[in-house]
Amino acid sequence: MIEKLDQLRDVALEKISETTGLDELETARSAVMGRKGALTILLKELGKLEPEKRREVGQHANKLKEELLARLDERAEELLAEASVITEPVDLTLPGIKPEIGGLHPIQQMRYDLDDAFLSLGFEVFQEDDITSELYGFDHLNFPPDHPARESMDTYWLKGSEGKSGPERLALRPHLTGASVRYLQKHGAPARFVYPGRVYRNEQTDARHERAFFQYEALIVDKDFSFASGMILVETILEKVFGRSVEVRMRVGFFPFVEPGFEIDMQCQMCLGEGCRLCQHIGWIEVMPGGSPHPNVLRAAGLDPDVWSGFYVNIGLDRLVMMRYGVDDVRLFHSADLRFLRQFR
Amino acid sequence: MKLSLNWLKDYVELPEDLTPEKLAHDLTMMTVEVEGIESLADNFDKMVVGQILEVKDHPRADKLKIVMTDIGRDKPAQIVCGGTNLAPQQKVAVSLPGSMVRWHGEGDLVEIKAAKLRGVESYGMICSSGEIGLEDLLPEPELELIMDISFVDDAPGTPLANALGLDDYIFEIDNKSMTNRPDLWGHYGVARELAAIYDVALKELPKGKLPTEAGIEVRIEAPEDTPRYAAMTIEGLQNGPSPFWLKSRLMSVGQRPIDVLVDFTNYIMMATGQPTHGFDRTQVKDYIEIRRGRAGEQLELLNHDRLDVGPDSLLITDSKGVLALAGVMGGKLDSIYPTTTDLILEVANFHPRLTRHTSQKFNERTEASTRFEKGINTQRVDDALQYAVYLLQVLQPQAKITGLTDNYPKPTEAATVRVDKAFIDTRLGRVVSQAEISHSLEKLGYEVSFQNGRFTVKAPTWRSTGDIEIKDDILEEVARMLGYEAMTFVAPTIEMRAAVRQLDMDLERKLRQYLAHTQAAQEIFTYPWIKDELFSAAGITAEAVELDSPPAPDMKRLRNSLVPGLIGAIDLNHHSFSEFRIFELAQVFRPGDYRPSVAEEILPVMERHLAGAYVGPKPMELFRQVKGMLEDLPRAVAMEELTFKQLEQPGWADSKLWLNILCGETIVGVFGLLSLRAAKAGGIKRIQSVIFELNLEGLIALPSRENSFEPLPEFPLVDVDISPILDEAVSWAQVEQIVGPMVKRIEFVDVFRGKPIPEGKKSLTLRVWFQSKDGTMTMEQVDRRVQAIVGQLKKRLGATVRGME
Repeated sequence: MIEKLDQLRDVALEKISETTGLDELETARSAVMGRKGALTILLKELGKLEPEKRREVGQHANKLKEELLARLDERAEELLAEASVITEPVDLTLPGIKPEIGGLHPIQQMRYDLDDAFLSLGFEVFQEDDITSELYGFDHLNFPPDHPARESMDTYWLKGSEGKSGPERLALRPHLTGASVRYLQKHGAPARFVYPGRVYRNEQTDARHERAFFQYEALIVDKDFSFASGMILVETILEKVFGRSVEVRMRVGFFPFVEPGFEIDMQCQMCLGEGCRLCQHIGWIEVMPGGSPHPNVLRAAGLDPDVWSGFYVNIGLDRLVMMRYGVDDVRLFHSADLRFLRQFR
Repeated sequence: MKLSLNWLKDYVELPEDLTPEKLAHDLTMMTVEVEGIESLADNFDKMVVGQILEVKDHPRADKLKIVMTDIGRDKPAQIVCGGTNLAPQQKVAVSLPGSMVRWHGEGDLVEIKAAKLRGVESYGMICSSGEIGLEDLLPEPELELIMDISFVDDAPGTPLANALGLDDYIFEIDNKSMTNRPDLWGHYGVARELAAIYDVALKELPKGKLPTEAGIEVRIEAPEDTPRYAAMTIEGLQNGPSPFWLKSRLMSVGQRPIDVLVDFTNYIMMATGQPTHGFDRTQVKDYIEIRRGRAGEQLELLNHDRLDVGPDSLLITDSKGVLALAGVMGGKLDSIYPTTTDLILEVANFHPRLTRHTSQKFNERTEASTRFEKGINTQRVDDALQYAVYLLQVLQPQAKITGLTDNYPKPTEAATVRVDKAFIDTRLGRVVSQAEISHSLEKLGYEVSFQNGRFTVKAPTWRSTGDIEIKDDILEEVARMLGYEAMTFVAPTIEMRAAVRQLDMDLERKLRQYLAHTQAAQEIFTYPWIKDELFSAAGITAEAVELDSPPAPDMKRLRNSLVPGLIGAIDLNHHSFSEFRIFELAQVFRPGDYRPSVAEEILPVMERHLAGAYVGPKPMELFRQVKGMLEDLPRAVAMEELTFKQLEQPGWADSKLWLNILCGETIVGVFGLLSLRAAKAGGIKRIQSVIFELNLEGLIALPSRENSFEPLPEFPLVDVDISPILDEAVSWAQVEQIVGPMVKRIEFVDVFRGKPIPEGKKSLTLRVWFQSKDGTMTMEQVDRRVQAIVGQLKKRLGATVRGME
């Protein structure tokens, strides 16, 4: 009897080890320990044995049963560890399922990045309306009466305001700077604010010229503000756009609404100042005008220029985004072409 | 404008180690932008002066000669040449192997190589002027003539550029960067600026003695229009080609040489910045009068065209009529002729704005008008007159100056500005010594005195025509002379106040980000001017704001809705994509009365709109996606709730599928399916678009998120689907109104039509959730509640439910 049991154990253990799945293991289990299993049947003969022998065989059988059960559990763990939900063969190089794509316009992305940078410096974001008057677009900004920008060949004047002047002559705003006077008239000084927006120029379009484009202007007005401090505006913008600090330089520049006025150049990011085609071998690229608000502009805003001074910068976002991503045609920004817009995330 | 380095050096002693690149950099940083530097000598690389020693016949070609030429080396060079004017002792331009020439003055540049020509060795080429780009400088009557440069003194072997005075660097200045600096529009003015930058001496402009006799009578109608007019009369001139040096100078700065008398007037302008003008004496009758045009008056041009010159133009006239547009252009009579011997030289000053106006009116921007319109000081007339006398002695020593009339009613007054030293220090961000400030200004020609912490600064007249007026102008002068490159950043001190809080700005941003990031919609930009055909596709008839000079005749109207632009964008994209979502947030315009700042400024009404389109194959699905987005939007972006109702159908919407969007009682927008008509008119085929448009001015942003907490249920919810069969006329809203109060939650699952559902009926599936506070619900409890719902639906909506009759 003990021999039979041992024989049965050896066969059972081998079968368990040969199983390749949980179902098979269950089959193997019931083949031995099920109601009609070999062990069960064998143990039914136990009653026929003498009591002494019966105890001995019984003990042996119990040990054997425990051993088989332990082995079954162990094998079950092994099989579970090897098992996969996937029954078919797998190609791990198949591409992922892409999420539905949406996004902000690349210029809007840049604009909000800049907003965040300036908000963190305590600037407000101000938005002026798209239509303005000659009073705010030119007169308040110290543009002389015969400045060429006032001509219809540069500015989109509205029908019905021909021959009128000042507050009655209306146009799609040719630049953002007029918004500075509106803001300061309402909120006074000191002030720090940015005012992004679209501006409009009446001109022939090509890969580098657009009729509608985005500008980003920032202004600080404070007491005794040194223009040596104005660099903070420039650096905030460029560092945000390019993701690292960018060498800049200020040089003399003339714009009616600033005195002193500056042209602000950044180091060419293509050649890092070595000189290349993009920067026309100068190593620097003109990126924005800036300067202290002209006393006449401050006066127009209701501020005393003997008390208040400040610093402006105005940057063309289209051009900066083009430079940042290597876009070669400015007209793509207003194309509404998803093949273009979806490239920017 | 182009500047010649050699020309500048005539007037200023520049530092010896100064490179053209450094000069360009310094001018750019401190004064005006230099856009480029050109080395003229580069065009004449490997070209030298040669002197012909012997001309021999070519053994195998009648038209070719063998020319033994001294090129300054040990042995003469043997050059084969086809020129017909070759002669011993003649000096010629020799292009040595490696130089680049243009064959017969045509085509691309080619490299010269030592080669055999018809069996005879030829080392280089003897050039005609056209072959090396000098046809304007040294014109030849025939192609076969080589360029005879025997007039140069330089020995054979001298680089050609040096011998011809073309060893020069030309700076290209960005004209826009010097609109405020009329003093810089001539070489002498720039030389003066360089003298200040490098702290070196400025030479005096060469001068001749002015005549004391009076010339032709000069009448000035209005001193305001003509502050000064000098007319110098000259006799005994001989017109003809200019000497080589004069032509070469003018060419190097981009002026084409004409003849000596015209070149003479141009040279004075390029040197001093003061335009001058020559009249043939025989064409001017009795006197010169500078006056406004009269009604009906005309100026006849060289090409016989006639210009109407009204009272808004300033004219040069004589007793017979109009001679020229002052400061802009001459007429038919006013010209220098090849035969001119007697000349009236005009050196005058005209009102800048008037000149500008005239030049614009007749679309004639000349070198002279460009200068006058920037405002030249009247004193510069003296410089130009004296320089003219000097130059005349050089060019036409036989000529006689017979008289000068100088009508000078209104001299430019020097501007005086007072400025505190403390102001300059504060704005520079550092303290600069009084001496340093004074010196910076004095070298630019200012007279400076200092008393009690305050400078009194008298500007030179050449800076007093509007450029220098206020203390900020003086600040800039000091700052740029000290150098912006040397300036160090000073961190501003700022006052902390309340955190920036702008609900409106935040709402715009949240709306954009919600659509882009949770709805997978792409933001687009479109133009505010809209094509007429898109306006009509959108069925918009409302009055629009219009442009005076639009980008195109059919784009004169500005958008009063974003929908036309969206239709254009759908049309553009639907060929490449079968499903997409787009949106735009921008201002729209309509005639009205809006005064954002002051009462006298009345602008059209401007509102920010948010519009978008969901595009794909299934209209109902798209409609419900947009509706779902709009239902979710208020929570997502923290604004007041929106409701929907059919009130005002927009012109672009399908007759059935549209709803207005309301905030409170106000209509704030609309959404709906783009109608068949609108899609067809917009060129959109085989695709459906559901469009929405919201007016942001009607939305109410909430100051914080609107969330409220509800304790989690103690026992699990039980959900059951119920499918009542209803009349088509029964709406979901009616079902929801009845069932809603009876359950914890209700949801629409779907609607089914067709067999076995009878015609005119639909099977609506709704899912409801039950909850009990007392414990997990039993089947019986659930069943009782379902029966109650079915009972209500039967009773109030005439529903039948299969298996529950």
